[in-house]
Amino acid sequence: MSYKDPIIHIDEQLCTGCRRCAAVCPVDAIIGEPGHPQTIDAHRCVVCGQCVQICTAYAADNESTTALRAVKLQERGQLPNVREPLFAAYSSGDIQKVKAVLADPKRFKVVQCAPAIRVSLAEEFGLPFGTLTPGKMAAALRRLKFDRIYDTNFAADVTIMEEGSELIGRVMSGERLPMFTSCCPAWVKHAETVAPELLEHLSSCKSPMQMAGALFKTYGAELDGIAPSDIFSVAVMPCTCKKFECSREEMSVNGCREVDVVITTRELASLIKDQGIDFIHLPDEPFDSPLGKYSGAGSIFGVTGGVMEAAIRTGYELITHEQIPNLQLDFVRGEEGIRTAEVQIGELELKVAVVAGLKYVDAVLAKVAEGTCPYHFIEVMACPEGCVSGGGQPKLLLETQRKIAYQARKSAVYRHDSHQKVRKSHENPDIIKLYKDFLGEPLGHTSHHLLHTKFVDRSLKEEMS
Amino acid sequence: MNNVQPSPFVIAEAGKCIGCKACELACFAVHNDHNGVVAAVGTVTVPVIPRLHVIRTESFTLPVQCRQCENAPCAEACPVQAIRREEGTIVIHEESCIGCKGCAMACPFGAISLYKAYSNGKVVPQIQLKERQHSAMVRSAKVIAYKCDLCRTRDHKDGAMGNVPACVEVCPVEALSLVHPDTSVSRSRTAAAMRL
Ligand code: SF4
Ligand code: SF4
Ligand code: SF4
Ligand code: SF4
Repeated sequence: MSYKDPIIHIDEQLCTGCRRCAAVCPVDAIIGEPGHPQTIDAHRCVVCGQCVQICTAYAADNESTTALRAVKLQERGQLPNVREPLFAAYSSGDIQKVKAVLADPKRFKVVQCAPAIRVSLAEEFGLPFGTLTPGKMAAALRRLKFDRIYDTNFAADVTIMEEGSELIGRVMSGERLPMFTSCCPAWVKHAETVAPELLEHLSSCKSPMQMAGALFKTYGAELDGIAPSDIFSVAVMPCTCKKFECSREEMSVNGCREVDVVITTRELASLIKDQGIDFIHLPDEPFDSPLGKYSGAGSIFGVTGGVMEAAIRTGYELITHEQIPNLQLDFVRGEEGIRTAEVQIGELELKVAVVAGLKYVDAVLAKVAEGTCPYHFIEVMACPEGCVSGGGQPKLLLETQRKIAYQARKSAVYRHDSHQKVRKSHENPDIIKLYKDFLGEPLGHTSHHLLHTKFVDRSLKEEMS
Repeated sequence: MNNVQPSPFVIAEAGKCIGCKACELACFAVHNDHNGVVAAVGTVTVPVIPRLHVIRTESFTLPVQCRQCENAPCAEACPVQAIRREEGTIVIHEESCIGCKGCAMACPFGAISLYKAYSNGKVVPQIQLKERQHSAMVRSAKVIAYKCDLCRTRDHKDGAMGNVPACVEVCPVEALSLVHPDTSVSRSRTAAAMRL
């Protein structure tokens, strides 16, 4: 299903040309004159969906536009009974596809949810910002007739095992430093577009979503005795760019797509409403084992600094063979565009940086190109506060609430982590079992085949000549 | 002393407005608690009915809304006294409104619009009036007049800027302001005197 849909669109019938989207676009992909409908340069666009979040120009709803509304919903890939207003900037929906497959009893339907869904989904049902609903979310997915309710957080733990080991290897050998995280597809697409010569600095790890997809159709298929080709793998993501990522050609395992369809938080909410499920009154239900069991470290991937914090919790112990003295690493928590720190790990003074918001990354890339970038490890997330502020998250009616909404989602992520019994990826018993029974060791042969990838040069060479 | 305390009102500067409609959306958001509208767009189940309207011409965009007129012609025109002044704001009592359009015709700014009434996310039906739809007689929707009430009933404690109307608070280019005529008048008088 490698589609060529650019995913992010501006409806020229609705766009008033206010250019607020251009002000939030981190890569200057929005083109047009003020007062006229804007267009998106699909080559530059990193599909982060920040424009979708900010756009307030909506279709006025009256009798004469009712038919038009139905046409637009269809075009946008939304369900026909969606009641919310239609805005000029929007992302392509994939919910019709998911709904159709869910009604097919012959398919084996597996779903995974990103860490940032459980802290925001409830907003779509009118609950306050920061309401944590992992249990209701699992229950809702079960009511929707998914056969396995798995979790991206589990794969986030796998990512830490792989990426942490990769970092240690690179620091020891002094090669290809600094190492950048590669979980954020918008960041990866941006790097491929503007800095193809620096791609070897990216971790070779696939994102947790793709790792999860690869494990569902191998390890998971084996456990359930199902043919990988019979599995329909859905991911619920806070991010519009995950739709792009899942369609990347290389994201397949033994001829099967790792993730068949990505839907956003907003799309999941619309499906729950469509099916008449009373979300607010659902009981708390668990995720399925083993691919749904996660540590606190896995759950903080949803906020800026989270991957870094999770990696340090594990990296520290792998290197020193000692317990990390403090689990809450406040120096990476924060909201500034770039935060840096030095962490003493045994003999090693690890220099790290966290970049939140893609507009801050070009300066860092320039330093790397010059060879003057002092860090070992750099986390980059395209969205301003990490995935809690992603383009597929609930959209706010009032711009003035954005700050408190993001703050509340973020503290919910940290709250979720602090309530987990296991808070380090390498101590998650199901991760230990996965390596023992299936993967062998981090960066081993199976890992390499399933969990690592290569990047693509997307620069427009012809522009240069 | 015969001076009146003129009512404050919201006014826009055409030169600044970029036509984003954020003000319309905010206005709708803060007037629809009774329809279950909370923070997320996903909680909206009724059409967006704003109480100010961004108009677009070839050369500018600008929201138009109620001036809270001192001798409110809308109130004069209302045959059932559904429009009253309350704490310096001209307010339409929606439950009394009979949808006669008198106010909308009388308003020199076109600040009043007629739309269906909604409650609990559903259209409010007429008590008696019916109309033919697909060969069956059904109760018509109740239609009422909507206009700016300066966010009178809004709970302001969430606002970042304190006690200002929602539209003023959200406008990204500060095109809207709440004008207090008494202070503005004396300010412009002083400014004019300084230029002499
Ligand atoms: S897409 Fe939305 S935010 Fe962007 S210019 Fe058009 S109306 Fe404004
Ligand atoms: S999706 Fe992101 S990169 Fe693309 S146009 Fe919108 S804001 Fe810019
Ligand atoms: S919010 Fe401000 S800029 Fe946007 S349409 Fe309203 S007045 Fe104009
Ligand atoms: S003051 Fe309040 S009611 Fe009046 S137009 Fe602005 S948002 Fe709407």
